[in-house]
Amino acid sequence: MTNRKTAPGKGGRAMKNGRARENGRARKVYDFREENIFEKRRERLLALLAANGREGSGTGQRAELINPPTLVLASDYFDLAGEEFGRRLVISDGSDGLKYCLRPDFTLPIARHYMKTSPLAPAAYGYLGPVFRQRSQGPCEFEQAGLELIAQQDADQALYRVFDFARDGLALYGISSPGIRLGSIALFEALLQRLDMPDVWRPRLRRRFGSSKAMEALLLRLSPGAGDAESSGNSDEERLLKGLDRERLLDWISRKMLGDGLSLIEGRLPEEIASRYLEKQALSAARVPGDTVGLLRRYLSISDRPEPALDLVRQLLEKAGIDLKDQVEILRSHARQLSLRFPGAPLKLELGFSPRLHYYTGLVFELTGQNAKTLASGGQYDRLLRSLGAGRDISASGCALWVNRLEKEATGPEGGQGNE
Amino acid sequence: MNELILALPSKGRLEEQARQVFSEAGMRINRPGGARSYQGEVEGRPDVMVRFLSAGEIARELIRGNLHLGVTGADLVHEAAENGADMVDFAVPLGFGRADVVIAVPRAWIDVERMNDLSDVAADFSARRNRWLRVATKYVNLTRRHFFRHGIAEYRIVESLGATEAAPASGAADFIVDITSTGATLMANGLKILDDGVILQSQAGLVVSRRAEFSPAARRLADSIVSALQGSISGS
Repeated sequence: MTNRKTAPGKGGRAMKNGRARENGRARKVYDFREENIFEKRRERLLALLAANGREGSGTGQRAELINPPTLVLASDYFDLAGEEFGRRLVISDGSDGLKYCLRPDFTLPIARHYMKTSPLAPAAYGYLGPVFRQRSQGPCEFEQAGLELIAQQDADQALYRVFDFARDGLALYGISSPGIRLGSIALFEALLQRLDMPDVWRPRLRRRFGSSKAMEALLLRLSPGAGDAESSGNSDEERLLKGLDRERLLDWISRKMLGDGLSLIEGRLPEEIASRYLEKQALSAARVPGDTVGLLRRYLSISDRPEPALDLVRQLLEKAGIDLKDQVEILRSHARQLSLRFPGAPLKLELGFSPRLHYYTGLVFELTGQNAKTLASGGQYDRLLRSLGAGRDISASGCALWVNRLEKEATGPEGGQGNE
Repeated sequence: MNELILALPSKGRLEEQARQVFSEAGMRINRPGGARSYQGEVEGRPDVMVRFLSAGEIARELIRGNLHLGVTGADLVHEAAENGADMVDFAVPLGFGRADVVIAVPRAWIDVERMNDLSDVAADFSARRNRWLRVATKYVNLTRRHFFRHGIAEYRIVESLGATEAAPASGAADFIVDITSTGATLMANGLKILDDGVILQSQAGLVVSRRAEFSPAARRLADSIVSALQGSISGS
């Protein structure tokens, strides 16, 4: 049997048995029988999406199957997600001078479609098709299937419907017990608001949530006794500045900016620079308390089955005198609902787990297969539509399945078990 | 039949200095047609074809495997492709063309002296405004890698093809990543280099392609050129 690297897309597939080599590395190698099996599964996946929402009691509106544009403006992704995500795009220069990319996911094109066609109204979308991303070995094409539920009346029910879809989608490929990772943005944000620390650090900690490396670097800086290195700048200038009050400081900065040809109304404002300068002086006196840093570290390192994990959270919060019962209970019931759909599957609540993207809000989850490969990922992203101009948060949840990985999983690690 | 293709910068100080280090290592480079000819030869090594290209093209063609050896800058190798540095060996640093790729911010940013400051400012800025802090640079790959290493995600790159140092004043970007040898141009434009803001200390070097196909004879030739340069550089 052959070793499937990448499954075929919908159109223009070369049917070939054996080893196909291109640029010296193995690519798309197909087998007729396998092709048929996967074609059938794909049809059932589409049927699953098409049927989504029709049956059951009041589970919301039926999902509309859509195929948003494959070619989208690269700046849409850069504006939303920044350079780290942007560098994974497959980019093309347009003859109109703009940069385009092949869609790396469906969520953003669907959200844009929603904003154009039915802003603020409840909507449900299903999709199946190729997405494109840079990998270390070069650009790659994958297939994704998914469900996006927007502005549904009951946000919890919408999330559970997404869980159902993930369960049914994986079941099509014979997977009933994937690894499950669960994270909560809502609980972290609530905790951050309540912790004892100077306010300036809250948004900075929030922005680092989801990157354990960036977060740890910041926590190290905040740890008692660490501190930032002393400045080495022009000491005359520093002595002068240290003696100035806020008003004179503002004046000094504004004159410097004007002298260097900088705008006083675009970019960083003189007030922002002065405030942060004064804040730096003040923070060397009033730092983040060591207890707060310790609590954050322990909280972010919690990774266990939901009940023991939430027990630990409760203990931490009690000791700090912080009451977040409501948030904890919401997370507990979401975790329970997810585990009900995958009985016996190893479910881990990881309090530090999140994509490092600001538009995710409540719960995020990931279903994994062999070698911890992500088979499905999803969650709540109430802030996405605000970023696209909705003017306010709009509840949204969704999930994307990595079809090629599911197919690989279905054929086993060696590929093609029982096909011979 | 030429076994090995060696590329040198085609003009200016870089060409002079490259030809000089080769001469000092006992490998005089002849360019029979002068500056208007783009091919040459190495005295005493008839199997080597010398091509004169721009330093940027040399980096790109080494990565693609269309050249065996070339003299170019480390900064250009990093910039020609995201994983460009993995596709070549930086075999012999040649000691000229020295310059640093640095992060520079407006002098008026008195609260920003180190990368940690920049990471706070980037997070604050994106949390407060509806846009990212923008950095102008032509060093897209180096910038992304350096910012990732420092855990900074809240920024956008504005690609700049020239006069990067003017970007903050023109409003095209908030700060810059640029190459500098003395820092004088940055100073003149009201910019200061962060205390820990050196991303790459670059210099010209003899670079060997990992992708190019080497016949056994070509490999022997390449090795002999590398060791001749190494011997000459370390002896001087």
